[in-house]
Amino acid sequence: MALSLKLLRTTAFRLSLIYALTFSLLAATAMGFVYLTTKKELMNQTDARLQLEANILINQYRAKDIDALFESLQQKQHDSRTSFFIYVLVHRDQKDITTGFVPEYTTPDGKQAFATLPMGLLLKTDEDHDDDPVRVLLTQLPNGYQLLVARDLNDQQTVLRKIFNTVILTILVTLTLALIVGMVFGQQVVRRIEKVRKTAGEIIDGDLSRRMPVNRRNNEFDQLSRTINSMLQRLEQLMHGMRNVTDNLAHDLRKPLNRIRNRLEVILLEPRDDDTYRETIARTVEDTEELIATFNALLSIARAESGERRQDWDEVDLTELLEQLAELYEAAAEEENLSFTADIARDLKLHGNRQLLAQAVTNLLDNAMKFTPSGGRVTLTATRNNGNIIVAVEDTGPGIAEQDREKIFERFVRLDSARSAPGSGLGLSLVKAVASLHQAEVKVSGRNPGTRFELIFDVG
Amino acid sequence: MIRTMHTLLIEDDSDTATFIQKGLGESGYNVDHADNGIDGLHMATHGQYDVMIVDRMLPGMDGLTLIEELRKRNIHTPVLILSALGEVDDRVDGLRAGGDDYLVKPYAFSELLARLQALARRSQPEMQGTVLQVGDLRLDQIKRKVTRGDVEIQLQPREFMLLEYLMRHTGQVVTRTMLLENVWDYHFDPQTNVIDVHISRLRRKIDKDFDKPLLHTIRGAGYSLHEP
Repeated sequence: MALSLKLLRTTAFRLSLIYALTFSLLAATAMGFVYLTTKKELMNQTDARLQLEANILINQYRAKDIDALFESLQQKQHDSRTSFFIYVLVHRDQKDITTGFVPEYTTPDGKQAFATLPMGLLLKTDEDHDDDPVRVLLTQLPNGYQLLVARDLNDQQTVLRKIFNTVILTILVTLTLALIVGMVFGQQVVRRIEKVRKTAGEIIDGDLSRRMPVNRRNNEFDQLSRTINSMLQRLEQLMHGMRNVTDNLAHDLRKPLNRIRNRLEVILLEPRDDDTYRETIARTVEDTEELIATFNALLSIARAESGERRQDWDEVDLTELLEQLAELYEAAAEEENLSFTADIARDLKLHGNRQLLAQAVTNLLDNAMKFTPSGGRVTLTATRNNGNIIVAVEDTGPGIAEQDREKIFERFVRLDSARSAPGSGLGLSLVKAVASLHQAEVKVSGRNPGTRFELIFDVG
Repeated sequence: MIRTMHTLLIEDDSDTATFIQKGLGESGYNVDHADNGIDGLHMATHGQYDVMIVDRMLPGMDGLTLIEELRKRNIHTPVLILSALGEVDDRVDGLRAGGDDYLVKPYAFSELLARLQALARRSQPEMQGTVLQVGDLRLDQIKRKVTRGDVEIQLQPREFMLLEYLMRHTGQVVTRTMLLENVWDYHFDPQTNVIDVHISRLRRKIDKDFDKPLLHTIRGAGYSLHEP
């Protein structure tokens, strides 16, 4: 019941109903036209036949006399070929010459006229047929005679009634069929929407992995479902990212916080000299600075991943940005006794967030500097290739083992070889987040020795 | 500091306010404090201050509205905005409202002090003209020429900008973050000490061959360029 009520309210059903009504109305108009035309045509034919019959009789009368006419009327009355016709000859003063019945009808102008009358006016019949319609041609003859040639309309009426019934039936069938089709179609739509609603409900209840059903038909519903699904995908990603951040915060900030707390507690256990206090406090400030850095890095990653305020993006002059970074790092590399080369193509432009892009490349350069031993080489290149811009940072450090190359982008992951180096294990996570925010791909490959990181931007 | 700086601090968190008041007091600043936006606006309008520190989230009237209101009343005292919102866009919003600098919580006190100094300096008559001079170091902004004594010093464009910034803030402490923001326009901290490297390169060019060094490292804070 609830479903059928809902069905009546669906747009699909209403549309089918309107469609059905319009169609039925058109059908009715067309059929009505056919009906009326047929009726008129039948009447015209009848009138023509009556006229013909009357003319023959009148000519006979003119050629001979009233008795001859009377005789042929009697003949015709018994002729089966003319059994549809009724012939009546009456005189003003006398009774009906043929049947003895006086019709109560006369021509208004005293000459010739057509009329449709009930049979009872013309003939003495059994009561049943008194109301049957007949078509009459009345002809006024001299000396008070009147000739009536009539045709029984019963058969025509039957034909017309049949046509009329057909018209009504057609309209009814059309309406019914349209309604049924509407119901079925509406039902499908209702079921489809019901599924979407149910899925949405499950998602609201917390199951973010649910997706809208998609059929192979690829109609509007499937397309809509697909769009909603990609939206859900994005939402799930964001939720996942947020959850990750909270988890990471819990895991990785707890440890240093605990360390600070323990240190301070130990210091409070007994009186110490000023230098010890100073030193402890200084170390604690350093620790908090590290915590703040980690915290900021996590927030930056989360922001980059959620793609916030993407509408504020600008055209970034990547060439200018990379040249500036090259200049910034070239000096630092020299200080570390590394050779630094940059090869940056002209006019590289990109739609994006300048600060985030700079930070991502900076992180790659920081890593390269950190892991490349003295005497090694760090290279920054940027090239354009088939609608892509490829920014690559290459070093001659120890390299990254094949099996670790996926892992390094996860938060707080620090490979054993990097444990001794300073860092939070968040640098590459940010690179990854910034890359996906800009729909870029990050590729790591080995150089033996060394590592090559590529950011591949699609600038079509 | 030649004379005492009058500072207005508008901050609702009393711990933070006490901390800043104490720290600035020890550094020779005179600090008035308002703990809400309405009082803050009133004091800013009727008092004479060299510089103001305004928290972004305030009861009564939020920090950005307060600054907009001040600027409407034609009060152009330099304002340093303190905020827990630290993204580039937040910073842009703050500067657009009429703030002069933007510092994100949590921050090191030395950073706050350095930025405040830089701002307070703005409200004082500054050395005008196109030639900056510190001791015998001269920088001609038009000719893009740097000399120390009679010796011409060749600088890379970025080194020139770096020196220009340091000379504009002569006698003040300039932090690494300030240099990154103002000379390179980066609003994040690289892990590699790139700034230190550039400073030491600059130092090699302007100080190495001369008796008295001008560019000094301030431990735990940053750098300062001043006459010996």
